[in-house]
Amino acid sequence: MSGSEMLPCGDFRTSYKADSTIFSTKWIRMSAVLTIVGCLFIPFIFDLYVLNLMIQIAYLGIAALGLNILVGFTGQISLGHSAFFGVGAFASAYMNNQWGIPVFLAIPLAGLWTTAAGMIVGIPAGRIKGLYLAIATLAGQIIIQDFFSRAGWFTGGAYGALAEPVTIFGYVFDTDERFFYIALFYLVIMYVLGTNLMRTRDGRAFIAVRDHYLSAEIMGVNLTKYRIMSFGISSFYAGVGGALFAHYLGFVSVESFDLLLSIQFLSMIIIGGLGSVSGALLGTVFMVLLPEVMEFGVSLLATTTWGDIPAITEGLAYIKEMSIGLAIVLFLIFEPEGLAHRWSLIKSYWKLYPFSY
Amino acid sequence: MRKSLKGLVMALSSIMLPGTGSAEDYIQVGNLVDFTGASSTVGKPYGQGKMDAMNYINENGGINGKLLDFETFDASYVVPRAIATYKKWVSRKKVVFIQGWGTSDTEALITFVTRDEVPYMSASYSGHLTDPKGLGPDTTKGAPYNFFFGPSYSDGSRALIQWAAKDWADKGGEGKPKYVFMGDNHPFPNAPRAASLSYAEELGFEVLPDIQYSLSPGDFKAQCLTLKESGANYAFLANTSGSSISILNSCDTVGVDVQFMSNIWGYGEDVMAASGTSANGVVWVMGAAKWGDDVPGMETVKAVSAMSDPSVEEYRAVHYIRGVCSVFFMKEAMEWADENGGLTGPNIKEGFYQRKDWVPAGMEGVCPKATWTADDHRGNTLVYIYRGQVTGDTSGSNIASLMKDGIIGMAKVGESDIPRRPEWLGQ
Repeated sequence: MSGSEMLPCGDFRTSYKADSTIFSTKWIRMSAVLTIVGCLFIPFIFDLYVLNLMIQIAYLGIAALGLNILVGFTGQISLGHSAFFGVGAFASAYMNNQWGIPVFLAIPLAGLWTTAAGMIVGIPAGRIKGLYLAIATLAGQIIIQDFFSRAGWFTGGAYGALAEPVTIFGYVFDTDERFFYIALFYLVIMYVLGTNLMRTRDGRAFIAVRDHYLSAEIMGVNLTKYRIMSFGISSFYAGVGGALFAHYLGFVSVESFDLLLSIQFLSMIIIGGLGSVSGALLGTVFMVLLPEVMEFGVSLLATTTWGDIPAITEGLAYIKEMSIGLAIVLFLIFEPEGLAHRWSLIKSYWKLYPFSY
Repeated sequence: MRKSLKGLVMALSSIMLPGTGSAEDYIQVGNLVDFTGASSTVGKPYGQGKMDAMNYINENGGINGKLLDFETFDASYVVPRAIATYKKWVSRKKVVFIQGWGTSDTEALITFVTRDEVPYMSASYSGHLTDPKGLGPDTTKGAPYNFFFGPSYSDGSRALIQWAAKDWADKGGEGKPKYVFMGDNHPFPNAPRAASLSYAEELGFEVLPDIQYSLSPGDFKAQCLTLKESGANYAFLANTSGSSISILNSCDTVGVDVQFMSNIWGYGEDVMAASGTSANGVVWVMGAAKWGDDVPGMETVKAVSAMSDPSVEEYRAVHYIRGVCSVFFMKEAMEWADENGGLTGPNIKEGFYQRKDWVPAGMEGVCPKATWTADDHRGNTLVYIYRGQVTGDTSGSNIASLMKDGIIGMAKVGESDIPRRPEWLGQ
């Protein structure tokens, strides 16, 4: 949504290639590459706490992008994203434990399993939309969640399933420092794929379905096909994210994939910016860091003289929880288009400084 | 103002310089609790018990003179927050021990605590945490650094079935008694399911099909009608207390005549107070003595309670006392480690294996004896069985006064020492 309409005056594009370029200037491309190269040094600089947060951002961010493709780009709705996240987690652990498929192969394969599951749950999307689709996907969430706790052969039932760490040529990625590279690798690959998807015919079809499905159909876009395809692609992302989550923890429990996580995915993309690839990542960063920032703020407050007042010390936990909710509400009021929009405003402010108009 | 500046500087320097400030004389402990999340009804008393006990230890000589520097974190039963905090504790605080909480955080951290060699004492008593080396028939991987104080969920249900068999014989019941397992389809209620059903069959019960009711409280009259029609004699409730309150009320309305039995987290003073006479007569698993019992260790528990309640007027729930027990076991394991090679994770783990039929000093009669070995983490196999009594209207008054007036009460109806069968390890 954001991007093209924010072009500065005088920047005319004369070819389709120029119009659909990912990096509009050499400088942007350079800085993107430099950022990724810079990320490679993160494990040498930061401790486990920071690394853990970044790994969380990576696996949740991948799944959030999947949901953004479905909700933000195709205009469908899903309340079952965490179930797909779970399918990926269990499928990857299952393929590795039962069939001996190496973990680094099991992760993308788990994505494919999840794609299949997502396309089945997405079938109603061919016929219904809006609130009705929301309820249909909610049903999918409940059915899959119940399946997890009953299918002992697949998930280990009450005991959960073990997930071995990623191993490549005998090198085990079992510490946070090592796993960080796996997470970063998948994050970059999946975001590059996601960005490119939106430049293809299929990506444009998704947007057409979202913007005006009647016009899209008249132009020859097969609505059912693209809606279900969108569910499939979105689930693939969820599956890969879930598989990374599984092999990071080393253990998958049925408990992790509840409706609340689905709602959290939705809030990530709404805060980040619907229909924006970078928004999915920004929203994930926001949702992962917010409780930690609040926790830090609360602990800071406890060290000051305010910390001596009993009403405040006892209420700190509640203050923390409430401020997370409050931050989200304020966000929706003052920045309904998401962090991605705010980011592009900041960028254009500096780009056009001092003559913004 | 001085304090606020100093505090600010200290807090800021703690972000800048991770891992500083842990002096030799302090023992770093992480304390994971749930005060605001899904399991907070029982999480509050348990967490408060742990905090009070650690404060009590610090005020009474510490661990051989070393003080516990513990940090309490309310993870609200949310796994990612528990993991992030765990990482912070391991990398910055350099914890040597974690007092954990429920099913979700405990299971998510098994792999990490094993790798980082940090003993983790949970309030999740799931059977599969009891197999440190993976020797059990169904265990795929051991959990060497996981400990818990209390009967495992499976052993708790076995003790109740033993009690039910005896009860049936005492009452002169004819034929096979009928047993039904009731709970949600969720890891926590499911944990003792297999053990419970097979043991009931072994002891000659007729096992009826499960009845499912949700972990979140609701109207369970449909389930109660099913229960009534099934003709069951003994029904095991596998959910937590909020759900128990609902089902006991619903079944009372429907008029079910069955002996209810509950797991360790599914019944207690709170359920009696909330359900009133509907909750009368339920038999359940207790992991420790109750508040005010006439046992030698109760004096210590009262002194612990005074840490957060100097007036000593508050009534402490059964979960509080189990929290205190788990801290006192940790204390003595740490003392052993301190005298035998230093306070490291592996040494403290070793400290748990040093004694047989172990009751921490000062806790006599409060915490049942426990034995941990390097091959078997079924610490506590002695299960106390209590029966709740509700004699009148419980509305409009608090637990302390209800207990004092004798409107609610509980009495021990038996105890059983569950054998450590090798095939039950890890189940």
